[in-house]
Amino acid sequence: MEAVIETRGLTKRFGDRAAVDGVDLLVPAGVAFGFLGPNGAGKTTMIRTLLGLTRPSSGEVLLLGLPQPAKRREALARVGAIVEEPKFHPHLTGRENLKIVAAARDRAAEARIPEALQRVGLAHRGSDRVKTYSLGMRQRLGIARCLLADPALLILDEPMNGLDPAGILEMRHLIRAFVDEGRTVFLSSHLLDEVEKTCDHVAIVDQGRIVVQGAVAEIAESGDPTLLLEVDDLAAARRVLDGHRVDVEGGGLRVSLTNGLGAAELNRALVEAGVAVSRLEPARATLEEKFLAITSRLEGNE
Amino acid sequence: MRLVGAEVLKLVRRRGLMAWSLLLTVGSVLVAEIVLVALHAANSAKHDPAGGAANLEHLVFLLSGLGNVAAIIIGATAGTQDVGNGVFRDLVVTGRKRSTLFNVRVVGALAVFLPMLALGFAVAIGGSFLLAGGLPLPTGADIGRYLAYTVALTAIDVILAVGLAAFTSSRVVVGVLIAWNAIVSHLLIAIGSLGGSRKLIDVAAAEHFAPRHAIDNQLAMSSVTAVLTLVVWAVIFLRAGRWWTNRTDA
Repeated sequence: MEAVIETRGLTKRFGDRAAVDGVDLLVPAGVAFGFLGPNGAGKTTMIRTLLGLTRPSSGEVLLLGLPQPAKRREALARVGAIVEEPKFHPHLTGRENLKIVAAARDRAAEARIPEALQRVGLAHRGSDRVKTYSLGMRQRLGIARCLLADPALLILDEPMNGLDPAGILEMRHLIRAFVDEGRTVFLSSHLLDEVEKTCDHVAIVDQGRIVVQGAVAEIAESGDPTLLLEVDDLAAARRVLDGHRVDVEGGGLRVSLTNGLGAAELNRALVEAGVAVSRLEPARATLEEKFLAITSRLEGNE
Repeated sequence: MRLVGAEVLKLVRRRGLMAWSLLLTVGSVLVAEIVLVALHAANSAKHDPAGGAANLEHLVFLLSGLGNVAAIIIGATAGTQDVGNGVFRDLVVTGRKRSTLFNVRVVGALAVFLPMLALGFAVAIGGSFLLAGGLPLPTGADIGRYLAYTVALTAIDVILAVGLAAFTSSRVVVGVLIAWNAIVSHLLIAIGSLGGSRKLIDVAAAEHFAPRHAIDNQLAMSSVTAVLTLVVWAVIFLRAGRWWTNRTDA
């Protein structure tokens, strides 16, 4: 598997506190990769370290297979990035702001400006000063700035922040379109639902460490199976299910099975205990549940 | 060159900065000439014509003093605008060296400032000839020295402002450099007990290029010493600014 981002033992310390703590990250090419974690988990510091905006305390970084910072210029020539919220010179127009960054890139970058503005739907506002832009427009202009590099890799820090539902949908489509073109999109977010809807792969980060990484579906489905039950006697059912994690959900129960117990064995046990089962179905595992399970487990270990 | 062009674009699109800088350079000379013409027209017995060598000297000192403020403002803006607007990190992630991004600020600021200074100087020279009446005209040597003095005094401050701006805000840069040029440096130059060490003051070195009769307390030094002093100041500030730009997080 070709990796566009690879880190080994990457650490960034601020005094005694490790914002990024021994991270081994592998981002495969051609996917939308979500870097998911709560606020303050170290996502932005990780991105800043990857891009050389801040020096790592230790560890190795390879961008597009090129070691950093030794091959920094070669790697970043094919990387577009938005770090934190996209910032611009407010007194310049959108087009002029792109021209500023294009001047720092290769000669072809300036020729890409009209297409980039078109792509993000800002062609008609390109001659307006950026100080008149909404946050959503600035997010899109930030994407246009990334496109000047014709990037193999886009690194987007919380790209959905501040967007309205239509803007979020638009951004999601844009990201998926980039992936369809063969580009890799690495996006950080604390929005579980968005990562699940947008990304193919995910790494869940907490307190500077990666807790789990892999394909979204695999992570969501991993762990104990969960069933949704509707029974005539909730109290009796809970007695039978003692030892399993049981939550009341709606009028029924949500059961996370342990000890390798299957749905059929569970049903039999309930019926033998005199509990009538009117509904039994596997619950669709979501990344959110997995995330909450992981973070609550981590909190429990503290 | 494309980076320099981008730097110039960022500066010239600042309407307020351009308006004030033009006012301080070209505008100040024009206003002074208009006042001199008006005074002469109102009372030619009391007020000489507006041109001639003596008036050129006054206009050059006006241009140098106010042009110096424009130089500092332009340098400070060039040195702080990328970081201040949060755009510096976007330039860094293009893979460009931070030192390159720092260096083009200096070139860009000079490219914006020097044409304004040249225009202001041209207006002063033009006025000194066209409005001379019967007054003595400035010599070529005078004009050469005035030009060297004006450029030395102002261009060095563009460089110092860009270098200093790597460390702090544009307001602090403007305040510190104006205070240095207008007050502190002249106090130091006036302290005779400092002896030859006063030649190390950039303002003293720049004033070396002014005609000898024009400056009070002008220190005697060779042109080589004056140029070396200015170069050392420029190198120190540029190196410090570049070092800090390379060192800090973007």
